[in-house]
Amino acid sequence: MTAGGVSRLTIRAVVNGRPRELDVPTHALLLDVLRDDLDLKGAKRSCDSQVCGACTVLVDGLAVSACTYLAVEADGRAIVTVEGLADGDALHPIQEAFIEAGAVQCGFCTAGMLLTARALLAENPTPTREQILHSLRGSLCRCTGYRKIVDAMEARHGARVEERPGSAGTRRTFGGEGAMSGPPATPTTPEERPGSAGARRTFGGEGAMSGPPATPTTPEERPGSAGARRTFGGVGAMSGPPLKWIGRSVRRVDALEKVTGRARYVTDLVVPGMLHARVLRSPHAHARLARVDATRARALPGVVAVLTGADLTWCDPYCGPAFRDRPILAIDVARFEGEPVAAVAALDEATAEAALDLIDVDYAPQPAAITLEEALAPGAPLVHTGEPLAGHFADLSSLKPEPGTNVCHRFRFARGDAAAALAGADLVVEDTYRFPAVQHYAMEPHAAVAAWDETGSLTVWASTQNPYSVRVELAKMFGAPLSRIRVVVPHLGGGFGSKTYAKLEPLTAALAHVARRPVRLAISAAEAFQTVRRCSARVAMRVGFRRDGALVAVECDAQYDVGAYADIGPRVVQKATYTATGPYRVPHVALGAAAVYTHTTPGGAFRGFGVPQLAWALESLFDVAADRLGRDPVDLRRDNLLGHGEEFAPGDTPIDGKYEESLGRAAEAIGWTQALAADRGRGVAAMLKASIGPSVSEAIVRLHADGSVTVLASAVEMGQGTRTVLSQIAAEVLAVPLERVTVVPPDTAITPYDQTTSSSRSTTMTGRAVQVAAEDVREQLLRVAADALGLPARDLALEDGAVVSAVQRLTYPEILALRFGMSGGELIGRGVVAPGRSAAPLGGSTPFWEMAVGAAEVSIDEETGAVKVERYVSVADVGRAVNPLVLEGQDEGGVVQGLGHTLLEEMVYTDGHLVNGTLLLYRVPRADDVPALACRFVENADGAGPFGAKGAGEGSLIPVSPAVANALARLTGVRLRDLPLTPERVWRALRARKDPETHAGEPS
Amino acid sequence: MLRPFALHRPGTAEEACALLATLGEDAAPYAGGTELLLLMKLGLLRPRHLVDVKRLAGFDVITDGGSLTLGAAVTHRAVERSPLVAARCPLVAAVARHVANVRVRNVGTVGGNLAFADPHSDLATLFLTLDAIVQLVSPRGRRELALADFTRGAWETARAADELLASVRLTPWPQGTAAVYVKFGVHERPTLGVALALVLDASRARVTEARVAVGCVDPRPVRVPSVEARLRGVAVPELEDVAGAIGELAAAAVEPDDDLHGSADYKREMVAVFVRRALRIAAGRARGASTPIPQFPHAVIA
Ligand SMILES: Cc1cc2nc3c(=O)[nH]c(=O)nc-3n(C[C@H](O)[C@H](O)[C@H](O)COP(=O)(O)OP(=O)(O)OC[C@H]3O[C@@H](n4cnc5c(N)ncnc54)[C@H](O)[C@@H]3O)c2cc1C
Repeated sequence: MTAGGVSRLTIRAVVNGRPRELDVPTHALLLDVLRDDLDLKGAKRSCDSQVCGACTVLVDGLAVSACTYLAVEADGRAIVTVEGLADGDALHPIQEAFIEAGAVQCGFCTAGMLLTARALLAENPTPTREQILHSLRGSLCRCTGYRKIVDAMEARHGARVEERPGSAGTRRTFGGEGAMSGPPATPTTPEERPGSAGARRTFGGEGAMSGPPATPTTPEERPGSAGARRTFGGVGAMSGPPLKWIGRSVRRVDALEKVTGRARYVTDLVVPGMLHARVLRSPHAHARLARVDATRARALPGVVAVLTGADLTWCDPYCGPAFRDRPILAIDVARFEGEPVAAVAALDEATAEAALDLIDVDYAPQPAAITLEEALAPGAPLVHTGEPLAGHFADLSSLKPEPGTNVCHRFRFARGDAAAALAGADLVVEDTYRFPAVQHYAMEPHAAVAAWDETGSLTVWASTQNPYSVRVELAKMFGAPLSRIRVVVPHLGGGFGSKTYAKLEPLTAALAHVARRPVRLAISAAEAFQTVRRCSARVAMRVGFRRDGALVAVECDAQYDVGAYADIGPRVVQKATYTATGPYRVPHVALGAAAVYTHTTPGGAFRGFGVPQLAWALESLFDVAADRLGRDPVDLRRDNLLGHGEEFAPGDTPIDGKYEESLGRAAEAIGWTQALAADRGRGVAAMLKASIGPSVSEAIVRLHADGSVTVLASAVEMGQGTRTVLSQIAAEVLAVPLERVTVVPPDTAITPYDQTTSSSRSTTMTGRAVQVAAEDVREQLLRVAADALGLPARDLALEDGAVVSAVQRLTYPEILALRFGMSGGELIGRGVVAPGRSAAPLGGSTPFWEMAVGAAEVSIDEETGAVKVERYVSVADVGRAVNPLVLEGQDEGGVVQGLGHTLLEEMVYTDGHLVNGTLLLYRVPRADDVPALACRFVENADGAGPFGAKGAGEGSLIPVSPAVANALARLTGVRLRDLPLTPERVWRALRARKDPETHAGEPS
Repeated sequence: MLRPFALHRPGTAEEACALLATLGEDAAPYAGGTELLLLMKLGLLRPRHLVDVKRLAGFDVITDGGSLTLGAAVTHRAVERSPLVAARCPLVAAVARHVANVRVRNVGTVGGNLAFADPHSDLATLFLTLDAIVQLVSPRGRRELALADFTRGAWETARAADELLASVRLTPWPQGTAAVYVKFGVHERPTLGVALALVLDASRARVTEARVAVGCVDPRPVRVPSVEARLRGVAVPELEDVAGAIGELAAAAVEPDDDLHGSADYKREMVAVFVRRALRIAAGRARGASTPIPQFPHAVIA
């Protein structure tokens, strides 16, 4: 090479065993060359800063971050990507181990994890646990909580051979199989309205269920120990056929495509003719846009379209599920740092990026309200001045901003006379608790590809948790009928609420419209910090008790910071506040909360939907009260738990769980009554959360001529395992092998309506719709077979892909041939779950109550203030674990995400600027932060979902903060009220305790 | 995404320096790129020429003379694995294992770390206690500078634009020196680094000399002469008695600011805590005690 320097080079590399010659620009990153030139999409771009590991590939056996590595460096080297791990169809043992251990969820981190593991194991086939954790120092996962990933890496070298695979698919059998009884085959009509009287019984066969539930066998819990001891009412009284698929930890149906890197996410899609978009964002928290001039950008060769707020005259530029207060691009004023001001679509991303520099914007910075205090102060700068339009969410029509203030919605809920009850209480504990703004960091940043066709129809491939909400939004904005808007969701790389409601889709569609070509917009993880976050909150609570420990009243005054646009914030606030009293019986309540606009990133939905903020206060105060009353915190909680069947609020679903079991098991598992080392503290906390009510799920199940099954449903697979669970439900009802069931990814042109994949509702609601649809097919099968065999349908049953009587057997293909002749045809079943509005305070009854208990054991480094969670137990009342391994993975991930906001995470604003809006500076939990962790389930088959299931997945996160803080308080006597419990914050509190004179009044 | 640039791959330092001299501000030395490419992706640096230093003769070798010389283009991983480093400066190898994450270690270099002069560098802190001397090469020839003089402040060095960092020379401690490196913090980069070495007399009874450096809390790491002086001559069994005072002395020697890593007073206190702890661990090592190294949350001990 000459010293003159080159801007292109021909490189020769062996990629996954295959020699390749590539001509690449010197500035090309290896990640882009692999993904774009070689179509190896397994390596993902996430943090884009070498922190997360999603882009890991091996270069001559060494792991590198392909996102920050020049492609020219690969010259003469051997590259291995995830696509090269398997040998043809034979998976690499580490891929097998990941599947078996349940280490795969959304799949976005999986390639990087596998390659990191492979590099470690190649060098050291028998790593210690310390070495495994050390190797994962730069590998982030937001779904699994890491435990199963570490398990898989340990299993690889034989430490857990007994857990290793036997046969395919169904080999992992958890105790209880065969001992299991299911509900009787209750014929149900395709359409049912569980909200209406009488229908609740069929909604999951409540009361008809018995028999021991499937007991997950986890490393620490073997059949015959704690789990298997549990019995439930009516054991033996039940006669249903044993369940074949429900309650078993079958392999995830999407595991194979995820461990091989074949799973496609929105960022991986290539649509012919597609342009690439980049967004220009406001550098100011609040500024008037004096001038936005894109002339120079438009003139740049390769730029096809530039859009500014002023250009959006041809559509309705406003969107938002609560209030339509958010323009696609800032119009006249930018209301938060990072707000999109202009966007460019160009032939490639580099051109689009370069064009951003050519957009001239004159900002006139305005005073900003960054904190709740600033936003609520008299004379505060107003985030919005005009009256926003109502959003598309019918239930939210009651929401109302308070003109002239930054209060965008206020919610009040009262029962009894809280003031009087508090005045008469023997003990009142009160304090103000703060919860930080935190970032979801779903590892896949938001992405969308939009294309309009010649008929004026719009297709958007979107990373969204609710394609149908996005569709409504797009239809409104672009004035198109719903039928002409198609939203398709391939694999989703994590959501946690960040991908609910329209995010990038309106802007991408608008760009595609003006460019008259398909447009792809994929933002960075740093831009995700400017897209949505959890609503931070300040919660003042007063809780009154009688001397005997009975809770008499709760008064709550909360403010949630919803940022610059309402998004779903008002709904977060009202729904969470409604259950501010947790799983307890409280005769007198006065609950109030305000959603407050600030000049910060919009706050929206995030796992727990506002409840973590309130549980932080209530559950902390519970322990304060226990202390003052001289009561044991577990006992005090038990005394006040709502009972099964008890009313939560008039008109709402009665309590559907036996909460004392969850509390008891959590206490038992943490060893609550057992001796504790002097340097440890234990704490417990509980939570109750409502799901969305009313909400609608519909499903279609098709039985094909060969006896295979297609499930059409719009629950989004985002790591939680919904495709697997829906497959299990269909396979169970139709008695077919799991491999014969295919669940079609959501596509509003094909898969029927589903309200949203959030609120822990999919197994219960979508699952129920699938169950009903499958039952519809079953009824049809029985009818045809009964006719053919001349037997009453009641003498027939479904078994192994056939309808059988005592003596005869007709396979499904035979039945379909009887029904349709030899030419084919299929049976189509329909399932609708549509509970409708109710007299419940929020206008709809929750389909189930999600309840969970957490128990923590912590230690403290008193000199540094560093808290270490040594052990953690989560017990969730799930009714029935359809897939225990998948569910365990969900809850482990929830606990670890909870540890994030408890100990580490907080979006920090200084002088109006977010100062840690990248993964280099925003610290999420890593593998070595994970305590000894056990997630358990109470399964009484008392849920409204299929086979008695009820929602899960959010519950485990919510008790984490108070459980840890309660443990810390019991260990040190210090009570913290602000999260996260950073070492410095704890250190200050400890210092103030030791030396109250000098440090009085210091913030804790 | 990177903006286009021309890549130069000279074979000798002289050629590389000549290039830097010609290209001036438009050029940047490029090693592993773990810092450089990151900043270029963000548009914070926009060099139009990168001069690759990885192929420069002698840049990627580790050599042993009276001292241990690490070529600028030696990766953290190579340091971690080098038998030579393990033999001559075992603590350097141990610390290399804990720099960043495995991918950054596989690619990032010693020279890149020092030349970037991020205030949160483990290497810079540790190397101060090894009396590190950096060798710089430029069209004007070679020069040597003490690392302490090379690192001027946060992201600021004495390197001229046409100068390259060729290597860093470490003066290994005498055999049997009891040393430790501790880093602490919840963030991606350390909040605090403490390197402490106790040179012992032949009978391992007394400290003849001490080297102590504290990093990450000031714009650049510092040696702490007051602590070193206080430790000189202390009998090993008495180290425990001075631990508290040593910590306080170290804390008095730093000037932290408030930032994302913490408030100034917290950081100052952590300096006291971890210097004290480092001394205790080193004292244990001096005694040859086989007591397990204590574990502290969010702290790494090498
Ligand atoms: C995620 C992450 C975590 C990290 N954590 C830690 C940590 O815990 N502790 C720690 O100590 N460090 C840490 N680092 C820093 C890491 O050690 C450095 O990124 C790495 O060593 C830099 O080497 P490089 O070869 O990649 O440098 P490059 O990125 O190639 O260069 C860095 C800078 O040095 C200049 N340069 C490079 N080589 C020379 C040379 N020979 N002469 C003159 N100038 C030169 C370049 O022009 C550039 O300005 C971390 C980095 C990352 C990205």
